[in-house]
Amino acid sequence: MPSFVLVLLLVFPLFGMGLLQLVPADRLRWVQRLAASSAAGPLVLALGCWRLPPADLHLSWLPKLGLRLDLGLDGLSLPLVVLTALITVFAILSAPADQSRPRLFFALMLATNLGVVGGLLARNALLFLLAFELVLIPITLLVAIWGGEKRAGAAVRFLLYSAVSGLALLAAVLAFAWFNPAGPAFGFDELHNAQFPPAARRWILALLLLAFGLKLPVVPLHGWQPFTYSQAPTPVVMLLAGAVSKLGAYGLLRFGVGFLPDIWAAWSPWIAAAGAISAVYGALNAIAQSDIRRLMAFSSLGHMGLLVLGLSAATPLSLQGAVAQMLAHGMIVALLFACVGLIERKTGTTAIPELSGLMNPLRGLPFTMAMLLLALMAAAGIPGLAGFPAELLVFEGSWSTFPRATLVSLIASGFTAVYAIRLFNRVGFGRLDNDRADWSSTSWGERAPAMALTLLVIAAGLWPTALTGWSEAESTDLALRSQPFLSRTGAQTPASAGSSLVAVTLPSASELRTS
Amino acid sequence: MTSPIATAPEPLTEPLIPPSTHRYADVIHRLEAGGSMLPDTPENLMQIIGIYKAYAVPMDFYWRDLLYIAERVFLDPLPAFKYFPSQEYLDRPNSYAGDDSKLRIWRGTATAHPELLAFMAKGETTNMPKLLHHLWHDRINMEFAEACMDAMFWHQGMGGRFYDYLECDAYKANADKAIKAYFKGNPLMLGLYALFPEMFLEQVRKMSYYANLGLFWEVMAPVFFEMSDIYDEGGFKGVPDAMDFLVNGIFAVAGRPIYHHVFIGGECFEIIPKSEGFTWLYEAALPYVEAVFYRTAPFRGTKSYNAQAGQVPSEQADFHYGILYADVFPVGSAGIPPTLLMQDMLHFLPPYLTELYAKHKRGEGDILNQLGVTFQRSMYNVTSAVIQALRCALLYPLDDADPEHLMANRRFFEAQMDRFLRPEARLPQIQTQDYR
Repeated sequence: MPSFVLVLLLVFPLFGMGLLQLVPADRLRWVQRLAASSAAGPLVLALGCWRLPPADLHLSWLPKLGLRLDLGLDGLSLPLVVLTALITVFAILSAPADQSRPRLFFALMLATNLGVVGGLLARNALLFLLAFELVLIPITLLVAIWGGEKRAGAAVRFLLYSAVSGLALLAAVLAFAWFNPAGPAFGFDELHNAQFPPAARRWILALLLLAFGLKLPVVPLHGWQPFTYSQAPTPVVMLLAGAVSKLGAYGLLRFGVGFLPDIWAAWSPWIAAAGAISAVYGALNAIAQSDIRRLMAFSSLGHMGLLVLGLSAATPLSLQGAVAQMLAHGMIVALLFACVGLIERKTGTTAIPELSGLMNPLRGLPFTMAMLLLALMAAAGIPGLAGFPAELLVFEGSWSTFPRATLVSLIASGFTAVYAIRLFNRVGFGRLDNDRADWSSTSWGERAPAMALTLLVIAAGLWPTALTGWSEAESTDLALRSQPFLSRTGAQTPASAGSSLVAVTLPSASELRTS
Repeated sequence: MTSPIATAPEPLTEPLIPPSTHRYADVIHRLEAGGSMLPDTPENLMQIIGIYKAYAVPMDFYWRDLLYIAERVFLDPLPAFKYFPSQEYLDRPNSYAGDDSKLRIWRGTATAHPELLAFMAKGETTNMPKLLHHLWHDRINMEFAEACMDAMFWHQGMGGRFYDYLECDAYKANADKAIKAYFKGNPLMLGLYALFPEMFLEQVRKMSYYANLGLFWEVMAPVFFEMSDIYDEGGFKGVPDAMDFLVNGIFAVAGRPIYHHVFIGGECFEIIPKSEGFTWLYEAALPYVEAVFYRTAPFRGTKSYNAQAGQVPSEQADFHYGILYADVFPVGSAGIPPTLLMQDMLHFLPPYLTELYAKHKRGEGDILNQLGVTFQRSMYNVTSAVIQALRCALLYPLDDADPEHLMANRRFFEAQMDRFLRPEARLPQIQTQDYR
């Protein structure tokens, strides 16, 4: 596939944003469909890139600053681009049909998509930084304009945390350039081969951990997350939790593990500890929440902890697990919030004490609750659903390196089932309040995004290669540690050993790079 | 039938007794004026009459099958076909309908209702053998009727002499004869009977309650059919009229004998002979209202109760899971008796009710809930009729001039309303049309 396809991935949302503004005021119902189409275009293209990998694109932009439009796709970025496109489509479709100020709302959603996809496509640190910063603006506006009662506070807090994150990344990227003995350069290939002084490496990694740790987030940098997740409109949370936060994980993997492997390896016990603490802290806090959105925010925090654990161990298997966790969590959290969005739209609340009996077959929301149950099961890592293979890979991959952190995370994973059951028991079962239960049932149109996500979560659980296969080669390349029991069986990783499908259906990194 | 209910007294400038201070004072004053617990609105009248009609058609099946089980299936150890009453029972003339009835309540036919027969043939699906309809659950569901029978059997001690009779020697001797005749030539069952006679006897008692409930509903079905016909002709002017019709009906058939006969090999075994003098009002109607409307037991599937945590009363008399207290919202859960009853009634709704439901809440989507609430309203009206009938039988006319008599009536009504003070009671809800 020609390399300009990579530009098309960015042009689609950009063009869509402009087109939305041209929709006349009496045809506002077209806006949502148009926005969804603008997001679906890149999805089709990204899937095309999977089958026919495009060559990298190098265009000069601002040569004096070292800013180049270097775009490329490999086994790490491609699955995340697909995920982002997918989540954007479903988030847009999850918005209510009577969304207020739809032109601006959906344009900002597309702008977010543009930023995330730009960051994932970037093969240049400065371009990545630009895209990373770009995401901040639309999300802040989306929260500030369409958020809940405390939207102003939530937006300001998100802005402050994200600004610190952005500044830290800016400092890190500049440090990459300044401390490069071979002269300032931002290209990933140059950074990969650069020999930074040891002190600079430590400072840069610290800044990267701050920048991406805030974005993920991970304890103790999570202060913005529960507040923002509880105040932002549900489609925005779907995008934020499902796609935007993955930019942080991707950054850690690309910059931390990829460019500063020795410091990463040295600091990884502490990073693993932060991951394990996040997992436990998130799960325990989720148990204590009395609002579904906040519960899911902390649940998300816990899952990010598992992801960080996988990254810190940096074995081929754990990195593969981390990528799988990004994909699985992206889909699961989007599904969770799609269901929560439906519950909130119908009942008008997400307060757990005010909800009960929603499984009621005639007057409740049985279909939505069934999907929520499945999503909670997936989040809790029940086999057969997307969460299981991802978590299993992370645990199996990390066990040999950080057994204690893995054990703690395993226990945290057990707590996931506690809050999942607790939530469902309170909200789904019990008596439906006769006085309150006066809402209409969900229509098929409203259910469709969540249904599609449900099918994907099941499909990924039944065919885990869809989660793990993409990144197999990159994970092996990036791995800092060997996998003891794998090394004995030769160079094969479990994914390739188990499935010839991977080789058939998914491109390896070398294929992507060379073609 | 003459009306034992006096017409409501004219509003007096000076009431003979002071107003009630009860929480349900409004309802009590309405009862004292000859009204029902259900407010007198045209929509309420339409709802209750419509649902009586929809209830009476499956009830016509219930009573026939209950008697079929009590009299023919009897102690069959594998009663796989007990919900398939024989043609004889479908043709069995109702004692209160048809040309040959001694007391004709309904002007229609004495055999099974034509709508019932049409439904049994085709169901919701299509014409197919009875067994397939049964297995597909496309049928009249007897589970609700059996749950009502179980409630009556289990609660016992609700007045009347019926249950005590089931413990007496005469009953045991009759039952023994029937058991031995039924299992004649079956050494296995006779051997088991010799080993566990009480177990068999208990089953026969249960069969006697099948007969009891069957005979009770044999009366109610034509009453409801007639009410529907009168309404269709524009006959009832309000909810009190409908209640009065019920009260009159209750008194007209109060003396109907309650018995249990079993037919084994062409011979009739009178386990409870008519000569024992059990009558409809005291041995069937009142225990039925108490057991089914007030008490029952928590229906499986509707809600879980924790007896250890004191969520279930220790006294059976305090049970409050009947239709007057029921939370109708869980209706729709698969297989639970209330859902099955609503499903049965759904097939026979008059068009005016279908139209009404389509306009409210989720329309077609929650029609089972809506008709459940209607059923609850209608049963408050039936209970009102029973309360008025009891007041009529035991106390004083509503237009009595003696203040002491009126106070006695007041105390009776207040005592009845006390049963609805517990929070589960739906009496406050049915006072408005918002509850659907």
